Amino acid sequence: MRRIIYAFTALALLSGLPMQAQTADEILGSYFENIGGKDNLKAVKGIRMTARLNQQGMEIPLEIYQFSDGRQMTVIKIQGKELKQGVFDGETLWSTNFMTMKAEKSDGETTANVKLNSNDFPDSFLDYKEKGYTVELIGKETVEGTETFKIKLVKEPLTIDGQPVEDVSYYYFDAENFVPIAVESELHMGPMKGQTQFSTMSDYQEVDGLYFPFSMTQGIKNGPSQPIVFDSIELNPTLDAAAFAFPEEVGETTND
Amino acid sequence: MKRQVRLLLLAVAIPVAALAQQRDTLRAGNLFGDLKARHIGPALMSGRINDLEIHPANKRILYVGAAGGGVWKSSDAGTTFAPIFDDHCQSIGAVTLDPSDPNNTLYVGTGETWTRNSVSIGCGLFRTRDGGGTWEHLGFDKSERIANVLVNPQNPDEIYVGVLGALWSDSEERGVYKSVDGGANWERMLYVNPKTGVADMAMDPTDPNTLYASMWEFRRTAWSFESGGGNSALYKSTDGGETWNKIHNGFPEGILGRLAIAIAPTNPRVLYTVIEAESDARKGLYRSDDAGASWQQLNNDFEITVRPFYFSRIVVDPRDENVLVKGGLSGSISRDGGKTFKSLGNMHPDIHDLVFGINDSDVIYAATDGGLYRSWDGGNTFEICEDLPLSQFYQVSVDEAEPYNVYGGLQDNGSWWGPNSSPGGVTGRDWNSVGAGDGFRVLKHRTRPVIFSEVQGAESVWRTDTERRLIKTIQPQPTAATPRLRFNWNAPMALSPNRPDRFYMGSQYLHRSEDMGDTWEVISPDLTTNDPAKQNQEASGGLSADNSGAENHTTIFTIAESPLDENLIWVGTDDGNVQLTRDGGKTWTNTVANIAGLPANTWAYHIEASAHDRGTAYVVFDGHSRGDMTPYAFRTTDFGASWTSIITDEVQGFARSLQEDYENENLLFLGTEFGLYITLDGGLSWAPFRSNMPPVAVHYLELHKGTNDLVMGTHGRGVIILDDVSPLRELTAETMGETLHFFGSSPTVMNDKGSFGGSTVSPEFVGPNRSTEAQIKYFLKSRHTFGKMTMEIQDMEGNKVADLEPGKAKGINIVNWGYTRKQPKVAKGKTFSFGGFTSPRVPAGTYRAVITKGKDTFEHTFELVYEDNGIPLEAREAKYRTTMELYDMTQQLAYMVYQVDAYLEQAEKANDTRELKKLTALKETLVVTTGDNYVGLAEPQLREKMANLYSKVSDGYDAPSAADFDNLSLIRDQFARAKADFEALKPKVKGGDTLTLVPFEEFLEMY
Repeated sequence: MRRIIYAFTALALLSGLPMQAQTADEILGSYFENIGGKDNLKAVKGIRMTARLNQQGMEIPLEIYQFSDGRQMTVIKIQGKELKQGVFDGETLWSTNFMTMKAEKSDGETTANVKLNSNDFPDSFLDYKEKGYTVELIGKETVEGTETFKIKLVKEPLTIDGQPVEDVSYYYFDAENFVPIAVESELHMGPMKGQTQFSTMSDYQEVDGLYFPFSMTQGIKNGPSQPIVFDSIELNPTLDAAAFAFPEEVGETTND
Repeated sequence: MKRQVRLLLLAVAIPVAALAQQRDTLRAGNLFGDLKARHIGPALMSGRINDLEIHPANKRILYVGAAGGGVWKSSDAGTTFAPIFDDHCQSIGAVTLDPSDPNNTLYVGTGETWTRNSVSIGCGLFRTRDGGGTWEHLGFDKSERIANVLVNPQNPDEIYVGVLGALWSDSEERGVYKSVDGGANWERMLYVNPKTGVADMAMDPTDPNTLYASMWEFRRTAWSFESGGGNSALYKSTDGGETWNKIHNGFPEGILGRLAIAIAPTNPRVLYTVIEAESDARKGLYRSDDAGASWQQLNNDFEITVRPFYFSRIVVDPRDENVLVKGGLSGSISRDGGKTFKSLGNMHPDIHDLVFGINDSDVIYAATDGGLYRSWDGGNTFEICEDLPLSQFYQVSVDEAEPYNVYGGLQDNGSWWGPNSSPGGVTGRDWNSVGAGDGFRVLKHRTRPVIFSEVQGAESVWRTDTERRLIKTIQPQPTAATPRLRFNWNAPMALSPNRPDRFYMGSQYLHRSEDMGDTWEVISPDLTTNDPAKQNQEASGGLSADNSGAENHTTIFTIAESPLDENLIWVGTDDGNVQLTRDGGKTWTNTVANIAGLPANTWAYHIEASAHDRGTAYVVFDGHSRGDMTPYAFRTTDFGASWTSIITDEVQGFARSLQEDYENENLLFLGTEFGLYITLDGGLSWAPFRSNMPPVAVHYLELHKGTNDLVMGTHGRGVIILDDVSPLRELTAETMGETLHFFGSSPTVMNDKGSFGGSTVSPEFVGPNRSTEAQIKYFLKSRHTFGKMTMEIQDMEGNKVADLEPGKAKGINIVNWGYTRKQPKVAKGKTFSFGGFTSPRVPAGTYRAVITKGKDTFEHTFELVYEDNGIPLEAREAKYRTTMELYDMTQQLAYMVYQVDAYLEQAEKANDTRELKKLTALKETLVVTTGDNYVGLAEPQLREKMANLYSKVSDGYDAPSAADFDNLSLIRDQFARAKADFEALKPKVKGGDTLTLVPFEEFLEMY
């Protein structure tokens, strides 16, 4: 981390000029360089994160898995029980129903929309052109009291209630160190439809040469938000493929 | 000589440097951070809407352009809305989708076009290409109000803008403008003179080169309105705006006023115009069946001709050239091509725009003075869309209740009061009506259950006894000595901060009552200029007489009795006087001549008598009704003998309101037409406040003493509250220079109040409540992005009580803590133990917040105190003791079940069926092992019983009941027996002695 900041100070001193106008690609280039390099990032095939969610005084431990083939899963640990949420095996998206504690599939559209994100691991911006994404520098904006570059990312269109909807998100890259400190996007379905989802990222720390935010908040823009704190991040974990498979009947998942 | 010069330079340099340093106190409003505005609506009585835009292909999507409340998008046909234009001025003239890209590209022409006295101003033309995510400014900075934006459906780079222009003054930026390069460059295609602008435009959908534009000559002053003149006309162009011809064949003779123009989408040869003319007989609706070559008058009903400046809009059914709707007092619809009309169904009066559904003409949306309405049956019946908090307050005040109430009057929506917080959030049903018509000032008596309210021009001033529900009309009336009273439309009333029963009203005189309005005494001469040239309201309106009282002038507008001296009263008048009496009204001095740099006769909008010093006062002047958009605010410290401007060029928009902080005299709040501004240095520099605060017109500011909440009456976004501004008192160059500065905090009262929350499931607007949690507030010099930053709460012995995630933003951070510990660790069972989700409260006392940022730690101690509600301390202590006993017991049971499970596993492994059976039987008494979390619930076992009692006691507010203690003793015994049974079983399990189990403390940390 210190290395990065030094590099920047030196750069700024050398040029002796205010930061030159940046292009989106230059900002992304600096970003990848600062978090450990594109090649190192590309080498990551999977990630396991242990985290804590604080919901109105209740602490909920989580375990999150993501893999480069799009498989992902969040395991919520409540009262010694493990409940899988947002499990995606590449084809089927499912979660455990909190009432019956049984697995239920997500609706087809949501599944299809999640499947579109299979190519986003480990970073949506990585080789974004090859993915057919577009990236645009909107300008500078102050977020979290800090000057940032606002970058618009457009991914594959989503399908919402049968209609195609553009998948747009805005990333705010800290103008000093080029890491994203906030992301916002519009919610397209559910009762909060039309509201803007807003997340912040901080506490970037190194894991095997790559930097990850260890603290995030998620919420509605200008509304309440919830913090998520990551206790550990492990790269390239191993996990039995069976863990992702939709069980016809999930009575209880054991913690073995 | 040289030395002298150098000294002189030094002398000059020092104050400049000092000034520069002071001016750096707070920059650009980016550091307010978590100090975020809270919007409580209401949406019950929404606000005026200027323009509606419907998506051409998706019937769910609708845009609302509000008169003072920005642009809102609905993706569900009007059920819910989200604001999409909150970074720019909030007065909207036109909202237009690009027909080539209706999903993404939207134009917003700002500045309302319904030119009533209270109309706001715009700030030019804007476009988004991503559905409102980002906006680009396309110029027209001086347009003040934009009536239309038309985009060629065949060529999105070809855009026409109809600029109505300035209302209060001449302006050159008027007429029809055209861009052929997507808005990069603009050419003015039609212009008449500096007094005449575009009131309406239409484009032939089959031939985008055919355009119609109505030009309107109009002018408003503070005391009159003039609609019509020789330059008003309807024009047509068939060459994309290059040449324009008047199309008046069949028009009324004489000069014209405001004209609306509409084209039938199904037959572009059919046009409708509504004409304001000299002769009443020749006013009304005209139709052309030959694309404007000739016109025939069809109708001059009241609804068609009423107040053209306010209602001049016609909309033709997209499926039937003979069905059309017209804005009006009630709005009306014709189904015979305009020959006859019937009124639209019941809704809030004053209809400004209407749209038909894209697939179904039974669906009609109506934009009114009271929000958006929707009809499903062709306009017979309407329902209000409840999610638009667009209310337009003229003034707000507060009381000392807990939670405090907010009072205020609204444009055409009466007078109201309601709580700033309410169980489940602030909804429509929390608001109470205390006045009809246009509401303005509403004041709560300090000690009695009495509210003062009024209707326009003090036609009635009401004193409402809210307990006995008695309403008395109490306005000052003419006397032999003062036979004619002139009240402003927004007539001033004021309460004395020194004597609760003293009540003031201002006409041209100051009226004082010592008995809440039962008897009145005139305590001043005419304090205005009494200029007869500004008193001829009967002649107001131009071609359509419009003497509503809204233009009454040469009146008192603001009254302020000093909180430090009951005989010191300031009075400001709408014609620019600032009068002071220091002897309770015996003698008066007009001090306005002492103000340098203020144009004569500028409206004295608000006077704030300082709470710090008798001789200090602030006056805010508003010159916009003379076309002067400069903000003016001055301070005197010598009873008006001299005045200093406290405005800098950081302030945007003319100002109307000011609030002085009660503690830090350098902390001032200023409400302008473009939002809230804050100074920390007595006006040397100002920063816009934009944390969840759109640049909406702030008409009034009030600081609530008990909570330090800044309550804003906005004219378009309802009541907006900035909770607890006290951190701002501590912001200095020094505190802002610290890596991390904790703000002082007064003790947090631990809220005992319970509720079942809101019961609304309707999609109505719900205002969030004020936080009742403990708030740890600090200033961070720079954002924390790299490395660990954590926060924990400790008791004074250093024991950790809770982990909290600290805010990382540069500027002010606020971390909420609900004064609870982590929930207990609960035994693992088949299902959840819902009682176990309860986080117990900590006892009142002193706590410490510790932030660790890298190698540094920062500490702040703060107090929690119990609510003063008569609950004895012993009861609270008993509750805490019992709660924690059950908390500990719950965790011990969890540990026991963990061990039982381990022994079960071992017994199974060792094939010890006898003990396996016994252990299983034991476990079945400890936790549920079957069922689910809903209707498959199993019979509760020890875990469930224990956790339920824990939760019940923990959620209570006083000592556990005798029944609780009986139950506790039962649970305690059962647990003791279970423990004994387990201890007896343990040694019998084969290989049980080989088990390695984690100790209790470690178990608690396991997930």
